Amino acid sequence: MDKRKIFISPVTRIEGHANITLELDENGNVSDALFHVNEFRGFEKFCEGRMYTEMPTITPRICGICPTSHTLASVKACEMIQGIQPTYTANLLRRLMHIGQNLSSHALSFFHLSAPDFLLGYDGDPVKRNILGIAEKYPDIALRGIRLRKFGQELSERITGKKIHIMGIVPGGMAYALTEDNRKALLEWIPEATETVQKAIEIIKRFHEEHADMVNSFAPSPTLYLGTVGPNGEHELYDGKLRFIDADGTILQDQLAPSEYLNYIAERSVEWSYLKYPYYKPLGFEKGFYRVGPLARLNVASRMKTPLAQKEFENFKSMSGGKPVHGAFFYHYTRLIEALSDVEDAARILQDPMVTSTRIQHHGRWNYEEGIGSSEAPRGTLFHHYKTDETGKLLNVNLLIATGQNNPSMNRSVLEVAQQYVKGGDVKEGMLNRVESTIRCYDPCLSCSTHALGQMPMLIRFVDKSGTLVKELQRG
Amino acid sequence: MNTIKVTINNTSYDVPANASILEVCKQVGVEILTMCHLKGITDIGACRLCLVEVEGVNKLLPSCTTKVVPNMIIYTETEKLKRYQRITTELFFAERNHMCAVCVANGQCELQELGYKVGLDAIRYPHLFPQCEVDTSHPWYVIDHNRCIMCTRCVRVCNEVEGAHNWDVMGRGHQVRIISDFNTPWGESITCTSCGKCLHACPTGAIWPKAIVQGQLNKNPGMITELVEKRCMKL
Repeated sequence: MDKRKIFISPVTRIEGHANITLELDENGNVSDALFHVNEFRGFEKFCEGRMYTEMPTITPRICGICPTSHTLASVKACEMIQGIQPTYTANLLRRLMHIGQNLSSHALSFFHLSAPDFLLGYDGDPVKRNILGIAEKYPDIALRGIRLRKFGQELSERITGKKIHIMGIVPGGMAYALTEDNRKALLEWIPEATETVQKAIEIIKRFHEEHADMVNSFAPSPTLYLGTVGPNGEHELYDGKLRFIDADGTILQDQLAPSEYLNYIAERSVEWSYLKYPYYKPLGFEKGFYRVGPLARLNVASRMKTPLAQKEFENFKSMSGGKPVHGAFFYHYTRLIEALSDVEDAARILQDPMVTSTRIQHHGRWNYEEGIGSSEAPRGTLFHHYKTDETGKLLNVNLLIATGQNNPSMNRSVLEVAQQYVKGGDVKEGMLNRVESTIRCYDPCLSCSTHALGQMPMLIRFVDKSGTLVKELQRG
Repeated sequence: MNTIKVTINNTSYDVPANASILEVCKQVGVEILTMCHLKGITDIGACRLCLVEVEGVNKLLPSCTTKVVPNMIIYTETEKLKRYQRITTELFFAERNHMCAVCVANGQCELQELGYKVGLDAIRYPHLFPQCEVDTSHPWYVIDHNRCIMCTRCVRVCNEVEGAHNWDVMGRGHQVRIISDFNTPWGESITCTSCGKCLHACPTGAIWPKAIVQGQLNKNPGMITELVEKRCMKL
């Protein structure tokens, strides 16, 4: 039998567009897997020639899910160019907005994109395996998921007047202050949001118990991890230093300033994807593949900052005796632990008496030619790096996006799961859903702009070496 | 003051003689769309948004540069005028690179406001997407030619109000550009006084202060009008 290929195009229930190619050997088993991201955005190029101060407005348009993370990385780069720091209150407000975005994104990933697999089954009817199917069978869960997203978006709306593509995070601080009425309104959300996240944690834990074999064997390849931590190694999303750990949990680098990222991270292009392959420079390509995002952040962190999240964190750490947890499936659990931490942290910030202060901006002007900023986007560590001329015009822009850093691992995970579930050339829809769900574990944001709810058609084509179609399966 | 009788949209008014159609319309509360007009500086009829129909005249007339005459019958809200206003607005957007979402003037832009007023939901003409320069050489201000609509309010305010004449116009047709001095970078101008009046006169995000980002722009073109009026009153 000729060597055959399976194309999964498009991959569904992710943010953005991607395809997967599975290469089968003569026995119909998977010999290789390629994860293609076939979009080109060009932000790094067309931002050249603009004023650096425009970047906090332009770059959030990269993504409708994590615009705040882009804005934060961008203003930090601008603040490095100006040599100034935001005010205390501005930091509180930025944290609140970042928490809101993280919560909203994590709720989308769990309730809308992934929960259909957990609650309706991987082999369930693909027509109903989406948020609408959840709304039909578990209306309370669907409503809670939608409301948790609403709370996340309100955290931005009540400060800046906009839910998505927020304005008002400016170099030196914030353009808008939080009013007392809005502070009180946001605080009222806390009990419901806490309860929703706790219910979601119950769902994922139950799934872990009932499907322990699958969960533990789901793409368990060890990698390095990168995440942001506070001064004492605590979990951090908004502002901190970088920590790299190896697959055994040994700290490779700690308290690295984000501005040093180029000393430790390199990128390489591959011919089949527009997404580059970043790696940890000291260990080289392949050995230096690392992961970012919730799993990485919890693997690198020494502790959480809030009590309820700390309790879950201890449970998470106990799963592998304090060592890093490698299974891609645990991204879901760690995402929810972060969501819990977000809600607790939001409550803490909203009770800070300085949160409604109007001392929200320091003013600066161009002083340095280079600026680097980072933030923890929902999908992982994000870097913005700008170089300007002496008038502030951008000469060079480098954006290292979180999903890009997970790219090598996503590719590897797809191969592992495909090898586990595609055997003897027999291809069932549920199998393809498992391969796709590997990507969903990472919650990638490929174009950072589109959403699919399991409604998109999936086409699987078997072709021989000469490209002749042997067999075709269609869904949707 | 001499007054004359004119009819605007079928209503008769007594209006000052020697005033422009635009002025009398404003006086009697009839709205006319404008872009290149700024009270206090000379009108030039460049933008063609304020066109009106006058009975007995076989062409549309710019209301800012046409004086009223006795018994003039003026129409400002005909279907033909609305069609032309829409076309003009679309051409503004098609000629350069206007990206409201990421523009520093988002929410503070007269062109954006115009788009809403004429119900702009699509642009039927091919965008030219010209490669325009962003001049950041001035220590305080930026001029982004991508967002310029060639209203020349900056040119006139610089010449007539500030008296510096830093700004002028170069080129023809769609290749026309605002230039500083004899087409030197703004930061190297020997005539610019850095007064910032051009910034307030600019109806779009083409001229803005370096220190601010989207959401912080606070243009006040009325300040120029007030300044001119106070000078006329010799206050």
